[in-house]
Amino acid sequence: MAARLNPLTALTAAAAVLVITTAASSWAVSLTVAVGAVLLAAAAGIVRRVLLAAAVIVVPFWLSLLVIHGLFFPEGRTALASWGPARVTAEGLTFALEMGLRTAAFVLVLMVFSFSVRIPELVAALTARRVPPQVGYVLASTLLLAPLVAARLDKVRQAQESRGLVVGRGIGSRLAAIRLQMVPLVLGLVHDAGIRAQSLDARGFRSTGPRTSFTQVRDSAAQATFRVFAILLALAAVGWRIAESLPAGSLSAWFLSGAGGG
Amino acid sequence: MIADRTAATTLLASIASFSYHGDPSPALRGVEVAASPGTLTAVLGGSGSGKSTLGRLLGAWLLGGRDGTLAGSLQLEVAGHPAGSAPLRFTGAPDDPRIDPGAWARHVGYVPQDAAAMLSAVRGTVEEELAFSLENRGVPRAGMVRTVADIARRTGLDGLLQRDPATLSGGELRRLAVGCAVVDGPGILVLDEPLESLDQAGVRTVVELVHAELARGTAVVVLSQHADALIRAAERWLVLKGGEETAAGPPARILQGGAPAESGVVITSPEVVIPSADREPEPDPMPAPPPVVTLPVAGAAAVRTKAALELAGVAFGFGGRSGSSGKEGSLLLEDVDLQVMPGEILAITGPNGAGKSTLLRLLNGLHRPLRGDVRVADESIAGVPTGLVARRLGLLFQHPHDQLFERTVLREVLFGLDRIFGTGAPERAQAALAAVGLGDSGNVHPHELPASGQRLLALATVLAREPSVLALDEPTVALDAHGLERLTDAVSAAAGRGAAVVMVTHDLRFAKTHAHRLLRLDGGRLRQF
Repeated sequence: MAARLNPLTALTAAAAVLVITTAASSWAVSLTVAVGAVLLAAAAGIVRRVLLAAAVIVVPFWLSLLVIHGLFFPEGRTALASWGPARVTAEGLTFALEMGLRTAAFVLVLMVFSFSVRIPELVAALTARRVPPQVGYVLASTLLLAPLVAARLDKVRQAQESRGLVVGRGIGSRLAAIRLQMVPLVLGLVHDAGIRAQSLDARGFRSTGPRTSFTQVRDSAAQATFRVFAILLALAAVGWRIAESLPAGSLSAWFLSGAGGG
Repeated sequence: MIADRTAATTLLASIASFSYHGDPSPALRGVEVAASPGTLTAVLGGSGSGKSTLGRLLGAWLLGGRDGTLAGSLQLEVAGHPAGSAPLRFTGAPDDPRIDPGAWARHVGYVPQDAAAMLSAVRGTVEEELAFSLENRGVPRAGMVRTVADIARRTGLDGLLQRDPATLSGGELRRLAVGCAVVDGPGILVLDEPLESLDQAGVRTVVELVHAELARGTAVVVLSQHADALIRAAERWLVLKGGEETAAGPPARILQGGAPAESGVVITSPEVVIPSADREPEPDPMPAPPPVVTLPVAGAAAVRTKAALELAGVAFGFGGRSGSSGKEGSLLLEDVDLQVMPGEILAITGPNGAGKSTLLRLLNGLHRPLRGDVRVADESIAGVPTGLVARRLGLLFQHPHDQLFERTVLREVLFGLDRIFGTGAPERAQAALAAVGLGDSGNVHPHELPASGQRLLALATVLAREPSVLALDEPTVALDAHGLERLTDAVSAAAGRGAAVVMVTHDLRFAKTHAHRLLRLDGGRLRQF
């Protein structure tokens, strides 16, 4: 399913959904988007990885939201409980819930996109649209960085365990292990990058002339139309949101004053 | 677009000296290389002789000015391009000529010792990786498709074009790296240790590839520390030691002198090693080094002595245990039984991908068996963290790059040592470094050591812990003759004090000479060799 899609179509769709979710600013929309993303991931067979990666990002964020807005929400009126300056208010909890859902929707959509897109195809599609290849490379290596770092970290951990490092289940033991692994991890990655740069040079990566692409990216008139439609829809959502947020009547007042001034 | 023959190209390099920035002494001095069409030139030398530096200079992976100070000249003579054939002269001054590595690579293809370093790491399939430099040069897609198909045929990658490069075996990866280097049709090919860590099938395909390139008129330069069958086919040898040329000329004449041995070159079988697909080659008739002296291997007396290492019915597969019993077909190892006695040296061989490295990782718990039990020093390691098993079992990884992570050589050996020896740790570390000949390199960064030094440092980290079982994964790879001597001494000393040694190796000669027992891992089971 995802393989047939042009990566730019997927990218546009993901961006449009994010913009619309932000503009809508409603927990119902956020929830729908989040559920939709999970269903898409399930259909593509990547739901486990998507949920795991999203949880790593979202859960700490949720906890901080709960502490900050759940306990200290200045506009909160309906106090449910209070300890000194900390008050759990209904408004605070609602706000935290809305923000939390929106973030979850955001992260899930981005994860579904980055786990389902074939990165060489995305780079090829960008190159075809005259995006500088260096940008494409940086984008590709950024999207590929997580697995690369994970693999490297795993190797460092195995090397250290084989020399007597015992990583316990406790959080203290894990933190101590992470501290031991960070410097080797970064130095190893930098070393690899240095070698890689020489190889990229020799393979003509710095050439300034025109480039071509071996990877063929599928596209169709229907997909192109969909992309335009998605962008328009996102723009409309932003326009509608701006109009909504202005004080009632101010828009017509602005028109009137403008007309009067002219 | 790629002709049947490459454009006749000659590379003349005259390196008066080359020093890395910040390094007071030159890495190369007075080295002359001439590579002419259709000829094979071998650059031989032990660890730290300057081979890889020379190879990188020839391939413009190292540039005078950017990476160090170069004095000398580089000259490419390409048939049909007399204008571009003037020598480039370097004096180490700021106004020296600047080489564009991308343009240079169209005439000189360089394949590094670590083939994986050749890959762009952002392409998902072998064919995309092959096309990478063509894309960068703006070759139209139709031409690219033709060229990629042609290169795939030449390098034997036909059946692998849709594979993810990260999943290739050592031999396949080497062929892909060569493919990436020849895709622009260079007339010169520089290969750094092209046969390293390949099994017999891998060796065969790479040797065939080199001969095919020679037949096309490519000038091939091979850098190596092994005078193996491929190297013996060279017209001309150049021997380096300490960055200087100590001998040059036809192989027969150089073999009579002592220059290769002095530099640390490993001299092996003179026969051309093209064994049939399913058989390991016969041991070569070169005089074998004396066998190691160890404790007599316990025979009937074994009943009393407890095994240092014991595997009983061990099965393992990367599918994991999640599947039901239907998973049996995907097992990498099944019913592996093994007993290694204290003082015994056991060698395990087998084709690439047979699960040899996986077997060693089961010994210290980096992998856990799906079935069966692993016992180290008569205690099961089931449920014991790797960090604790490591007190009794030392594992030498297949790639030193994966084993070394510290900032200096000394810190590397010291890691985790205080937990065993307390305040005696620094002394142990120094002794282990001295045993592998790195006693003076304590403050060097591990990455700055030559490949041989990195392997020996990794070995030192294992030796320093004085484990009762040593598990060594391809310990001979990247070692020159001096390094092999250190390894032999270390293995004999460990066995002499009663440690069991299990090594996995493709080096049958080393295994037959130094091991008490040789087993073959194939089809998931250990068999008598």
